[in-house]
Amino acid sequence: MERYGTGYLEERKLIPRWPQPIAAIVALGVTLAVFYASWWIFQDPRGWLRMYTPYVGYMYTRWWLIMLIWMVYIFNYWPFKRSWLENSHPLVKGAVLTAISVVILWVLIKGFFESVLGNFGIAYFNPERLMKLPRMTEFFALEYASLACLMFAAIASWLSPAWVVACEEVPWQNMSQPAKGISILVFTFFLSTLIYFMTMHSHMGILYYPWQYFTAIAPPYWEKFANTVSGNFHVAWIMCCTVTVWLVETIWERFPFKLIRTNWLRRVVAFFGIIAIAWAMHFFLYFAQELTWGPAIRGTRLINAPDWRWLHVGEMAVFFLVPALFLTFYCNNWPRRFSLPVNVFVRTVITLAAAIALYVFYYKTSHDYLGTQKGFMHEQQFPMIPTIWLINIWLVHHWFMDNWPAWKMVPKTAEEIAADHAAEKAQLADLRWNPALGWGLGAGALCGLAVYFIALSVLPWAYKNITVIPK
Amino acid sequence: MSEEKTTISRRGFLKGAAMGVMGGTILGMGVYSYSPWRKSYFPEVKRKLADIGVCKSVKVTNISETSWFENAVLMKDIKEAGGLLVNQYSYNWPPFGDGTGLGKGSYEKGIAKIKHLLPNNLEEAWAVTEKLSVSPQNAGGFAALIEIEELDGRKRKFLLDSGWSYKWMDECFKREGIDQMLKNKEIEAFIISHEHFDHFWGIPVVYKYDPTITTYYPQGFYPEGLQYLKDAGHKGKLVEVKSGELNRLIPGLATYNFPVPIICRVYGEQSIYVNVKDHGLVSITGCCHFGIIQFSETAFREIKYEKDQLYGIYGGLHISPFEDWDPKYDDLVLSLGKYGFQRIGCNHCTGILCAKKFIEAGYPVVKGTARNRSKDTAYLGNGDKIGYGTEV
Repeated sequence: MERYGTGYLEERKLIPRWPQPIAAIVALGVTLAVFYASWWIFQDPRGWLRMYTPYVGYMYTRWWLIMLIWMVYIFNYWPFKRSWLENSHPLVKGAVLTAISVVILWVLIKGFFESVLGNFGIAYFNPERLMKLPRMTEFFALEYASLACLMFAAIASWLSPAWVVACEEVPWQNMSQPAKGISILVFTFFLSTLIYFMTMHSHMGILYYPWQYFTAIAPPYWEKFANTVSGNFHVAWIMCCTVTVWLVETIWERFPFKLIRTNWLRRVVAFFGIIAIAWAMHFFLYFAQELTWGPAIRGTRLINAPDWRWLHVGEMAVFFLVPALFLTFYCNNWPRRFSLPVNVFVRTVITLAAAIALYVFYYKTSHDYLGTQKGFMHEQQFPMIPTIWLINIWLVHHWFMDNWPAWKMVPKTAEEIAADHAAEKAQLADLRWNPALGWGLGAGALCGLAVYFIALSVLPWAYKNITVIPK
Repeated sequence: MSEEKTTISRRGFLKGAAMGVMGGTILGMGVYSYSPWRKSYFPEVKRKLADIGVCKSVKVTNISETSWFENAVLMKDIKEAGGLLVNQYSYNWPPFGDGTGLGKGSYEKGIAKIKHLLPNNLEEAWAVTEKLSVSPQNAGGFAALIEIEELDGRKRKFLLDSGWSYKWMDECFKREGIDQMLKNKEIEAFIISHEHFDHFWGIPVVYKYDPTITTYYPQGFYPEGLQYLKDAGHKGKLVEVKSGELNRLIPGLATYNFPVPIICRVYGEQSIYVNVKDHGLVSITGCCHFGIIQFSETAFREIKYEKDQLYGIYGGLHISPFEDWDPKYDDLVLSLGKYGFQRIGCNHCTGILCAKKFIEAGYPVVKGTARNRSKDTAYLGNGDKIGYGTEV
């Protein structure tokens, strides 16, 4: 039976053409060049299409990410046959699969959101309908509709991969494609719709005057807790969920959830565990801002506004995703020589350090080369756009092009696949409970708490002593 | 055998420790970070209570608040040029039109067409730029006259911003007698709030009447703006107001520069604090991109004012300048009340919708007359005046 791309990513062997770190540097150079050229063509406010309006460009960036996830994680490259995936030149694969992702993207935005949902369901998804509002301009009609679409995208970009990574595709894991893909797509889309109504619809409901009391909960139920009526509160934790899903999938190798041997329990714990970790990140990144810039002041604008602080939580979270993906895609998830928890720990530390460095680098320099403005906060700037745009390019490069040209793809032999499975089993078997592990766990937990409180003390000092934004 | 046991034990401990560190950190992040206990980390606000002096009253004349006349025209230009992050000098709006079309202009190409006519032949300069620019008829501008009455009764005048269109601003200056005041040197300083087209591009109109007027501009101007200050014909003292610093002008009047990034590639905005005897602090702003509450919080932290009372507001509050909306603006509408302002004179980029929401919320908004092309009585329009500590 044709397997299409099922298991393709695990069953391919990427052989570097040059020793590390040359291969990683070449990959970085190539992808950054593509990033910058495509940024100029599509997004840059000084460039050609200038889609960074910002919501139009932001919407397409977010949904393109989901298209890539759908094609690879949910549909396993269907309808492309395994032989085509294994034998086509990476440039051909990259061009064909990317073109398809863009076509699906366009059909989804223009066909589903604007035409179907915007004409037969909710008017605010369709800019033409918004134009009928008194004093509405074409610019803001398009921005508002794009905002609604991209808020939906934020949820879908968490749930689509989460159903594969955490829930292991249940209950459709044994179905063949495209039935499996359609089932997961329909279910995660349905779930996204529910969560959209519970988290984002009220934001849209109070965007129009007067507040739409009878179609949305106004003021929203989170107002007192989040200190804002803005839906950015939800954007923040949902973005943290998206980032956590990918941390779990990449540098954590689905650890620690894969230690649970009971299938249903592992899946439930993984799904809700990811949410729990994301909420911890959500609260911490908000607190980190309070420690550096002072408590948020409701009603103000820019850097002190709670709505922006929540949004910035999501933006900061994405900075962690960039090095995590780089480590997995181009550094073969280095290191691999230690036990699984130690490997995961070292990768996490590397990712944290690299994310902080990237964050500082971005705010120090992005205004010089992305057509944006200096400053942490600008009402019309979203660092999630360039970071996710870069991630999209990496996904295309890694998933569609097998890291060409610095790597060469060779399918693993049956023996190699069996050896991988055996190694994974041995790795899990190595993590059996013993007193030393227990002592380590206890001591580690105390150290972890100490690390947390030390970080709280260091943050204000670091912000005071490191000039991120030059005057 | 015992050596092997020790090795295994060390490995086990390390594995546990690696897991524990991550778990403990995440636990701390989740449990403590948004709890009420976290507030113990917030330093107490130490008020600097800088003395800016005190004045008897302040009167503001709205020379023009209509920065542009048709929002749909402006937003169409912005949309087609690529959105709100595009460099304002590249829009090809007047006076920097070069005939190449929307989004393709530059300061250098635009100013080359009119530089020789600045500041004394503005009619011809505007006629030239009208032919080369996009939507020249839509340009208006923001400017206000601030009259401070000192404790001894002496009156002192300051000009806030110069608007945008040479033609419109000249008409407005003549309507309110600003041209004569400038000629007579009655206005002692010109304060530029920020580099935006509708507040700054009309500077030759000011320098036409008084080229030597002392000019205060905020730190953060881009090279084009700095060059325009020279090209517009200014021959007087030019003062850059540093970010985050209080700039005292006369007793009771100071400006403050907020280092904020702003749409259309602008950075930094300077606003005005006036301390009115027996009333409190009056905030006068061009656009208030940093937000009126930030402005108030900064005042609370930085300066000493009468009765510790935030008394009045005048100017654009930059809430819905394009008649757009966002739930975060509702945060402002819901929160403004607790600051206790007693006299709100808003207009311009506050937006009509926001002014209406303020009125619905019961705030003391001073209404306007909707004349001289201002569109709604919900806020102070062109030619309207407002007094703080004095009746007008």
